[in-house]
Amino acid sequence: MTILGEYALWIALPISVWGMLLGYVGGRTQRGDYVLSAERSIYAVFFLLVLASLGIVSAFLGDKFEYWYIASYSNREMEFFYKVTGLWAGQRGSLLFWAVILAFFSTLCVFLNRKKNREFMPYVAGVLQTILTFFLVVLLFADVNPFEQLAFTPANGQGLNPQLQNYWMTIHPPTLYLGFTAFTIPFAFAVAALLNGRLDARWIELTRRWILLSWLFLAVGIIFGMRWAYEELGWGGYWFWDPVENASLLPWLTATAFLHSIQIQENRGMLKVWNMSLVLLTFLLTIFATFLTRSGLIESVHSFAQELKIAYIFLSFMGVVLLACILLIIYRLPKLQSENSIQSFLSRESAFLFNNLILLGAAFAVFWGTIFPLVAEGVTGQQVSVGPPFFEKVNFPIGLVLLALAGIGPVIAWRRATKRNLQKNFQIPIMVGCFVAIALWIAGARHGLALVTWSVCAFVLTVIATEFWKGTRARARIEGEGFAVALFHLVTRNRRRWGGYIVHVGIVMIYFAFAGAAYNVDERQHVLPGDQINITSPFGHIYTLTYEGLSVSLGRGQRNLLWQAIATVSVEQDGVAKGILTTEKRQYVTSDQLMTEVGIRSTVREDLYLILSAMDDVDGALSANSSAQGIDLQVLVKPFVLWIWAGGLILALGTVIALWPSVDRRRRSNRPELEAVTTGAPAIAGAAR
Amino acid sequence: MSTVFLGGALVAAAVTLFILQPILSGLHASLDRAEDELTDTEARKRVALLALRDVEYDFLAGKLDEKDYLSLKADLTAEALEALEADAEGSEPHFLDDDVEAEITKIRAALRSGLMCVSCGFGNDDGSHFCSECGQQLKMGAVG
Repeated sequence: MTILGEYALWIALPISVWGMLLGYVGGRTQRGDYVLSAERSIYAVFFLLVLASLGIVSAFLGDKFEYWYIASYSNREMEFFYKVTGLWAGQRGSLLFWAVILAFFSTLCVFLNRKKNREFMPYVAGVLQTILTFFLVVLLFADVNPFEQLAFTPANGQGLNPQLQNYWMTIHPPTLYLGFTAFTIPFAFAVAALLNGRLDARWIELTRRWILLSWLFLAVGIIFGMRWAYEELGWGGYWFWDPVENASLLPWLTATAFLHSIQIQENRGMLKVWNMSLVLLTFLLTIFATFLTRSGLIESVHSFAQELKIAYIFLSFMGVVLLACILLIIYRLPKLQSENSIQSFLSRESAFLFNNLILLGAAFAVFWGTIFPLVAEGVTGQQVSVGPPFFEKVNFPIGLVLLALAGIGPVIAWRRATKRNLQKNFQIPIMVGCFVAIALWIAGARHGLALVTWSVCAFVLTVIATEFWKGTRARARIEGEGFAVALFHLVTRNRRRWGGYIVHVGIVMIYFAFAGAAYNVDERQHVLPGDQINITSPFGHIYTLTYEGLSVSLGRGQRNLLWQAIATVSVEQDGVAKGILTTEKRQYVTSDQLMTEVGIRSTVREDLYLILSAMDDVDGALSANSSAQGIDLQVLVKPFVLWIWAGGLILALGTVIALWPSVDRRRRSNRPELEAVTTGAPAIAGAAR
Repeated sequence: MSTVFLGGALVAAAVTLFILQPILSGLHASLDRAEDELTDTEARKRVALLALRDVEYDFLAGKLDEKDYLSLKADLTAEALEALEADAEGSEPHFLDDDVEAEITKIRAALRSGLMCVSCGFGNDDGSHFCSECGQQLKMGAVG
């Protein structure tokens, strides 16, 4: 099976090149047989890449350590589950995994469009095959072939990095990859539109769901990554502005900008060049993210690779795509002129434009902070690092403005709004925002940035709640429906708008939680069994933590675990027992480093987070020496962390609502009804002008 | 090993045949717009109608002044009509946005009755002269 998988990878390359060429030629010469052949080649490449992936998985399951990839990322003791997910545990496998997901989406796209949007499909097939060809070239010629064999067969493999043996880590990379690769479809349609000259909003309409799907996977993937860092890395945080975290954030930021700006093109026929540039930029950033993750160019907790050859191939590909797209956009400039102009500064389109500029500003700051160390090292030879303080300083104000815009946008009408109406509509939300700030101040909250953030959160939530309330009330009255039915119909009749508002609620919840970090409590103490630590929560209650002792169990290599030392801590809150938390140090066969498992008690208000920072005497503890029970215990109280995960759920729910196929387009039934709306329009138009 | 090689060769042959078949046997993929797809003008009309619906709701929610509402409504209706006229010259439309139009018609009827307050969007009872939510004077038949 494994050898067949390797053959499949080699067969896929010429098939992919064939499909690429026939797609472009078929589109140019309008040859239906060429186009069908190109489309079939996508199905074929998908089939071959599935065979290749099965080849790798079967090598993992069969402990075939003669393959470098299997020997490096597996061993006999590894659990079945991690052997299957070993496909994306390392650089080589994840590149193959990336290619197979891209081929899957490409297949889905070709299948769904087999009878529609035919004028786009030749070039769409061509572009998709170009990108697949690139990944196949990387896999086969950049020294990252997952089927590469060693000169000898080791008795056992090196095993998987223990930090990756976590369920969040098994679903986090695939989710991100789904997001990255799904964005290739809108990119392919955009390039197809540039090539066939159909540059109205049609390509956007056709790919809107793909864009949302990609955005959803990116957002959820990022949140899964945060969750993994929070549970597994053992330092008490969920985001460290690590280059690879940043790399996944970058396309998400530009995709968010894109999601807002396409509405301007759809509604007003404006920003065509801008949207083309954003789709190109986002696509390039998804490739950049893979490049950064899987080239080892910038060292981070994620990067386990060292090869540079692959980096040059990636950079060349990105350069060629960038150049080709810029040339295409310049060639099509006459057709990309705006049909309208912004009528007023006070309009939703200008708010969206502002949101775009801010998002791009944030993306640029993150991008620069991420690659600056590399540029600086290249120029000066000195290693520099750009840490969280830089990113936080730059992104906090940007983030706040963005949050405020989420409240301002919905209240401003398209085209133009009047100041009087704005004042009227903003009055109550601003009052609520100020009230929240004052109430929190009185309650003892003194952190300026957190207060401002919570106050803006309240403002945005009030705006959204008012929108829902007014919309439901109006609909209930007009349609004579009950409130629950009216709300349901309001949302289902315009899923995109109301789904978007629900996404904003999720974002507000996440901001709310981020601001809570200003009130983190962090203490580290040396304790012996029986010692107590008293920690005051920012909410005023007192945690009394009693260290009960250390128990050591020897794993003797089962599941790659050599030993684990478990510190047991009983928790009381204001004198009431709240159960037991444990935190561990683990030694795996596969790593020299000691790993930390944290203990977390999550509530709506706050997380109690325990870290076994250090053991006084590891050898003593392992030999069951009762005097070797002393440890360093780090205790963190982290307000509102649960709200990040809950916000992520709401965000996903809102996106799914916006994604859900609309039911409000029906087949032609009776033409006369149309006249009711449009009759007399010229007269009204004349009068209004 | 030779069995695996044979398997690989079979896969290669099958895949090659699959992608070459359209050219060898003259199978064609369609390159034209399908019968039941929205035409450009239909798409334009739909965008105009959806924008019109938003304008009606925005006016109802007090986001738009009466003056802006009337002029936006006129612009968008003209856009929808223009698309409709362009469409009439070509083939018969495949989709009509009856539901959106019906929704707009209903909002307008409510506005025309004068009972929906244009300041706060509250629906007042028959015979009201002032909005019982915000106190705004209700204008019978002034808009819509």
